[in-house]
Amino acid sequence: MTFEKVNSKVVKVNLSQSGNVLARKGAMLFYSGDVRFVPANAGGAAAGGGMPSMGGIAGMAGRSMAGENVVMMAASGQGEVHYGRAGLHVTIVQLTGGTLVVEASRLLAHTANLQSSVVSLSSGGSGGGGLRGMIRGAVTGQGMFTTQLSGQGSAVLLSHGGTIELPVRPGGGTVVDPQAYVGHTGNVRVDMSANVGWREAVGRGAGEAIQLKLDGEGVVYVQASEQKL
Amino acid sequence: MAQLRMNGRRVLEAQLQNTAVRAVSGSMVAYDGQVQFKSAGFGGGDGLMAGIKRKATGESMSLMECTGSGTVYFALDAQDITLVDLDNDTLQVESRQLLCMAGNLRTDIKFAGVRGATTGQGLFTTTVSGQGQVAILSAGGPLIGLEVDGQNPLVVDPDAFVAARGQLNQSFITDVSWANVIGEGSGEPFSLRWDGQGVVYIQPAER
Repeated sequence: MTFEKVNSKVVKVNLSQSGNVLARKGAMLFYSGDVRFVPANAGGAAAGGGMPSMGGIAGMAGRSMAGENVVMMAASGQGEVHYGRAGLHVTIVQLTGGTLVVEASRLLAHTANLQSSVVSLSSGGSGGGGLRGMIRGAVTGQGMFTTQLSGQGSAVLLSHGGTIELPVRPGGGTVVDPQAYVGHTGNVRVDMSANVGWREAVGRGAGEAIQLKLDGEGVVYVQASEQKL
Repeated sequence: MAQLRMNGRRVLEAQLQNTAVRAVSGSMVAYDGQVQFKSAGFGGGDGLMAGIKRKATGESMSLMECTGSGTVYFALDAQDITLVDLDNDTLQVESRQLLCMAGNLRTDIKFAGVRGATTGQGLFTTTVSGQGQVAILSAGGPLIGLEVDGQNPLVVDPDAFVAARGQLNQSFITDVSWANVIGEGSGEPFSLRWDGQGVVYIQPAER
């Protein structure tokens, strides 16, 4: 365990065990020891391993377009750092070579040995980004792009009210409210579906008009609230 | 009958096997399997009389019916959830604190006093009766159950009141000095008084 929960809303990390850690700017609560903090934004030069795959001007444009341009701070040195944000619940995710897809606003921290990049939410399969992604973004308020972490290491997710983990199975038909969706791991395809009639959607519907359909093999993290971060 | 159970403190799971549950519209966070959602009207029942009651009291909630086979996950604003089993008895609950119902249950609106028209808090409560399970919400932390034993009356802040069950009589206290201390809203300050035998549930937050 590199990150350790202090309580349901705060994590601590020992830098000599974890190596460098990237965390959302302003999320550091307190630290002890000899720790240095360096901003690790678009360029990523100081991140030491957290190089974004979409470099240069195109990458920067992509990020600011997608709203995935949250400034991260890289912590290095010797000591223990505590992280937390806005009283939100934390969930620790361990990655052993797989990928984690999460919105930048819901990512509190991750170890620097994870590769970070900006991807389209449904790039994993057919019917991906493009126009449908844009429509989904407009309809759900969910970004067209999300942050993807891959490799070996761990990450900390933020949620309102804590998360539950639901398994995603091939053809299993796991469906999530877009506002409660936090992130997912594994080889999962995300598709927007509106499987209600038009009259239901505009009239006195059940209030669950737009849904995210997940297919593949992995785990989806769902928060106990419909509140966006 | 559909089965309700908790997944942690803030997420409710409903197991459906060609059965149905009713829940507050928009409270589904995820589901697995073949499940349909459709509007199930409002909590106060159907018909003209129910419509008038709804208009007059403001005590309305939009419900949806979830049918099919699979598991549905419900949560609302990270509030804590408590499951209450009803066995042919009645639960009085604030409509906005009701999350989900499973089983053979009826809902109605109960008019608890004339004073409610000006303040509208805790006075028109929804009643749920029959046999089944009810999931209720509490903001600010787990629900607190207070026993009323027939010896001393229990007085609660209407903004913290969530639900009540048992042989209880509700009345109002208007004690201006006391209400000035606890009351936060404007209008007519009052508190809810409970006599009899039963349990009154409150939440550790004021609406």
